[in-house]
Amino acid sequence: MDLSELEEDNTGRCRLSSPVPAVCLKEPCALGVDEAGRGPVLGPMVYAICYCPLSRLAELKALKVADSKTLSESERDRLFAKMEKDRDFVGWALDVLSPNLISTSMLGRVKYNLNSLSHDTAVGLVQHALDQGVNVTQVFVDTVGLPEKYQDRLQQRFPGIEVTVKAKADALYPVVSAASICAKVARDKAVKDWQFVEKLPDLDANYGSGYPNDPKTKAWLKKHVEPVFGFPQFVRFSWRTAQSILEKEAEGVIWEDSSAEDQEGLGRITSYFLSESPRRHTPHRYFQERGLESASTL
Amino acid sequence: MSIKRLLILQIHHLFSEYLKDASKKMKSGLLFVTLANPCSGEGAIYLFDMCLQQLFEIKVFKEKYHSWFINQSVQSEGHLHFATPMDPLFLVLHYLIKADKEGKFQPLEQVVVDDIFPDCILLLKLPELEKLLRHVTEDKEINSKKFYKYSKEKTLRWLEKKVNQTTAALKSNKINVSARVQSAAYFSADQVSSDKEEDYIRYAHGLISDYIPKELSDDLAKHLKLPEPPALLPNPASKKIKLSDEPVEAKEDYTKFNTKDLKTEKKNSKMTAAQKALAKVDKSGMKSIASFFGVKNKKKI
Amino acid sequence: MESSDEETTEKQRIHLRSATLCDAAPAIVHLLPCEVLVNGPAPVERFFTPAIRQRPSGLEVSFRGRILRGEEVAVPPGVAGYVMVMNEKAEVLAELERRHKRRGLEHEEEAQARSEPLERDFDRCIGATASFDHFHLWGLETIPGPDAKVRGALTWPNLAAAIHAQVPED
Repeated sequence: MDLSELEEDNTGRCRLSSPVPAVCLKEPCALGVDEAGRGPVLGPMVYAICYCPLSRLAELKALKVADSKTLSESERDRLFAKMEKDRDFVGWALDVLSPNLISTSMLGRVKYNLNSLSHDTAVGLVQHALDQGVNVTQVFVDTVGLPEKYQDRLQQRFPGIEVTVKAKADALYPVVSAASICAKVARDKAVKDWQFVEKLPDLDANYGSGYPNDPKTKAWLKKHVEPVFGFPQFVRFSWRTAQSILEKEAEGVIWEDSSAEDQEGLGRITSYFLSESPRRHTPHRYFQERGLESASTL
Repeated sequence: MSIKRLLILQIHHLFSEYLKDASKKMKSGLLFVTLANPCSGEGAIYLFDMCLQQLFEIKVFKEKYHSWFINQSVQSEGHLHFATPMDPLFLVLHYLIKADKEGKFQPLEQVVVDDIFPDCILLLKLPELEKLLRHVTEDKEINSKKFYKYSKEKTLRWLEKKVNQTTAALKSNKINVSARVQSAAYFSADQVSSDKEEDYIRYAHGLISDYIPKELSDDLAKHLKLPEPPALLPNPASKKIKLSDEPVEAKEDYTKFNTKDLKTEKKNSKMTAAQKALAKVDKSGMKSIASFFGVKNKKKI
Repeated sequence: MESSDEETTEKQRIHLRSATLCDAAPAIVHLLPCEVLVNGPAPVERFFTPAIRQRPSGLEVSFRGRILRGEEVAVPPGVAGYVMVMNEKAEVLAELERRHKRRGLEHEEEAQARSEPLERDFDRCIGATASFDHFHLWGLETIPGPDAKVRGALTWPNLAAAIHAQVPED
């Protein structure tokens, strides 16, 4: 798997896809959607699709693809290599969402939560397969939340396709298992070869699983917190674990949309009215509009 | 670690002298002192260049929620200081008006004295000052010693010239003087020319008023024949608020006052030109005070 | 002036060491759309600068998990930007002496300044440690653009020049 495009700029998102097998353009295909790295506080989240003609699902199954979580890393790598060999009838595509993209989406002025981000990414990948001419007739999706709403949404978005959203779909449908392997292999590789945007000479690579409850990960976060900048962009700032470490160990940062109670509360407003006492001279509007005032101290 | 301040300095033929040749045996006489702001009477910072005999005013740009990165450091307050040449006459005028209560001609060193801001005597070291004084004083020479007395008439004529040259600069710098809220992005030259002359004069008068006492500002408005600004509030104590002098980013809900006012005026069915102008004010950009109390999402990292 | 003593504050003069204006090295300056509640060193070069990206819409970077979009703002012609640091007088004089020695120059100028009566024991000193002729202006998620307050503030030197110019004769 060639992630060089991601390594060049890992501050946004990056889409990668296999060539579309010719047979998938003609024959009706099943398409599976799965994700890897949704929970960790570190690194990217990867969404993947895998598709294969209905007529050849048995062959995909024969590869013994299974839920990626039940496989060891070397088994996943071996299976992905097999799928690459079977590129005449199996195709895949994936979207790598950088931790920076996740942080900035979730912390934006307009909140873009992880569920919406995930759903939109999945929809984008299915659409991508359709745009490439893949004859998708069935879509199988693994879900972490309640499947019903997600299913309705996808079914509405793709009315001509039979959509199945199910928990543990990655264990039930080979196309979903295959997608989960693609996603996991990509996530592992992305994390392993992560190009830190920051220049960090004494970086410790021992960050454990990346899951917030992993003591190694927690220790790594505490070690790498920087008082002004917080963490490297490798960390998802929007995770509670990251935020609580920042609150304790980093300097405060106030944004104009930070909540009022973080900003000295109502005292400010009272003093504002006091400053309106007639004694005080109000500068001309030219100065007020430009934030200029006579300097009374240096 | 010392606090860092960012300062924008007018370098015009002044600092270039220092910059050109530092090894020159040039006496360095740049000093910041606190003097009485001629408008508010409160302490404000000024910069003297004792060598090139220039006075600078210091303004500071402040905007909430801003910080600086300066090389490898962070500066919490995103302030930016400006040092720009200032007409020393404004500062001296403050003392001349005070001294005028005695109603007699006095030597300048008797006029420019201040217990709170003793550095005001540095003003007397500015050599051009004597030449400038004739704009605002009557003088007498006795035994080759000069005695001065504040002249309101002369001062108003001098201030009128100041207003005129400021008006010209407002036009050439394309400063939006109308009460309308406008984005600089959509502020075209056409709109500049559509601004009324009266708006410019009122705006320039407002700017000059930041350098003179309130009473003199009122006299200057009469001298310029500026129409009485409409009283925006029923409370006469607030008559200070003038239409064109209000910041566009009003921090109170003036729309309330405006609508209330207009209703009362309608009954009288008589509106002054300024009140009509007020009726046309686009209030869309004015923030209602409610927005300052609004509940916002918690976000703190 | 950081003195809490009102009386001293108003009588105190702060001497600007003009010599420091000469060799103030250019600084890289960013104006951020947030308040960082600390003054002090920050590894800007390691964390912030390498994260800046040139996007079709302009500059982009993230800070504390939030997107900043920015642009370069030039200091207007005729003025210069300086980073000033308040020092204890002795500190500044020592630094100037070091510099002059390095250059092999006599420090006559400063000797003169010390004897200058404008300067009193309780006065303080300020000196430039760096200069700037432009800075990076960052907005939270959007480019600050022409309506940025600081852009308005930068029109001040021009207007001030007109207000404070000597009036024409009658």
